[in-house]
Amino acid sequence: MFRKLIMLAFCLLLNACAATGVREAVQNPSLPRQHELTQTPFFPQSQYHCGPAALATALNAVDIRVTPDQLVPEVYIPARKGSLQIEMLAAARRHGALSVKLAPKLDAVLEEVAAGNVVVVMQNLGLSWVPSWHYAVVVGYSLDRELVWLRSGTFERFEMSLSAFQRTWARSGYWAFVALKPGSLPKADDPDAVAKAIVAFESNANKADVYLAYDVAAKRWPNHLVLLMGLGNSAYALGHYSHAINAFRNATIAYPNAAAAYNNLASVLLLQGEPVAAKEAAEKALQLAQSDPVLRAEVMKTVDEVNAYKAKKPH
Amino acid sequence: MIFVKRFFSAFLAASILFTGSVQTVQAAMISSAQVAESVFSGAADQDRARIITALSRQDVQAALIEHGIDPAQARSRVASLTDEEASTMATQIENAPAGSGIIGAIILVFLVLLLTDILGFTKVYPFTRSIR
Repeated sequence: MFRKLIMLAFCLLLNACAATGVREAVQNPSLPRQHELTQTPFFPQSQYHCGPAALATALNAVDIRVTPDQLVPEVYIPARKGSLQIEMLAAARRHGALSVKLAPKLDAVLEEVAAGNVVVVMQNLGLSWVPSWHYAVVVGYSLDRELVWLRSGTFERFEMSLSAFQRTWARSGYWAFVALKPGSLPKADDPDAVAKAIVAFESNANKADVYLAYDVAAKRWPNHLVLLMGLGNSAYALGHYSHAINAFRNATIAYPNAAAAYNNLASVLLLQGEPVAAKEAAEKALQLAQSDPVLRAEVMKTVDEVNAYKAKKPH
Repeated sequence: MIFVKRFFSAFLAASILFTGSVQTVQAAMISSAQVAESVFSGAADQDRARIITALSRQDVQAALIEHGIDPAQARSRVASLTDEEASTMATQIENAPAGSGIIGAIILVFLVLLLTDILGFTKVYPFTRSIR
């Protein structure tokens, strides 16, 4: 009871004046005035397990079935009674989701919620010098009433004023991410964040999921080098050589100085039995890679392969 | 370099599986992670190896266990960090105060400071435990 009173006093104190960023969000014409993802599941946290509980909420919201208990050994550090931020991202990836970090803006969080994506946030419910770190999941908001709703701790629908939320969230450095199934994209127009998320996702994911993720992202942002290279590489990994060639060709058109794109194009062309085109691409790659010794060494391998192929099959 | 290694081991596995039917053509592909690294001017992959090496030390392992972390878990946690994250972590290990030594640094990194920010330990202080 005492604790609740303190929290109440705290919230009132925080409400005394609007936090920066709140007015911008409230007056943002592109946001629906109110939205709530009422179907979001709820996992009440036990003890200090707010990290596993928040992560389970976010993963189950995208139909990845996992319980907080399963996540505890992956993200919980007993001695510190908490979870590391980067492990939250890594654990989501390990369970087959893309972890896309959001821009440090209240609008960015609300925009995702409006688009149907719940947002995992880190808050400091205490003060900077008496931290009380907490993970919660934003599931709804009302701009007219200046409120957010969260799955938080043992509360299924924790209501906070936008100002209080903004302040507690600010103290975590505005840390927020969405967990998405491969093939889904965040609402935010941030191809770099998505590319980083998919690259990180690559190492633990199956090839088809990686391809799907790149394919959807490259369709939305058709001129992003990392996305095009990822699309080509993942198509190649699945044996879809003609798709791979297309992607690498598009990368060379959008980025005429990308040695890596020419290099990979050459390799796949060679696999497709097109040594003449492969040689042309490989030589272009070599020419572009002159200033980067590491890249140059890799391109040399491709050049050697092209030459070996030609030597072996003189026509 | 790891991408190359990874690729070759995959290729080797494939060659063993399809002995005879495999063409002599090998593709030297440059991975998306490598491209991303140069595009985002991210950090190296060696960092991850450095953290793993540090984690493999006996004294470090003992310290991890003492803090309730399973060393095998810790290693798999490192494996799923991105290059960027691993490099931050490695830098923090290297820049740790000299007096505390590597164990202190690793425990520090794992448990206290990460990415200049602090980890998500929750409700440590009873009087701020008000959300419950």
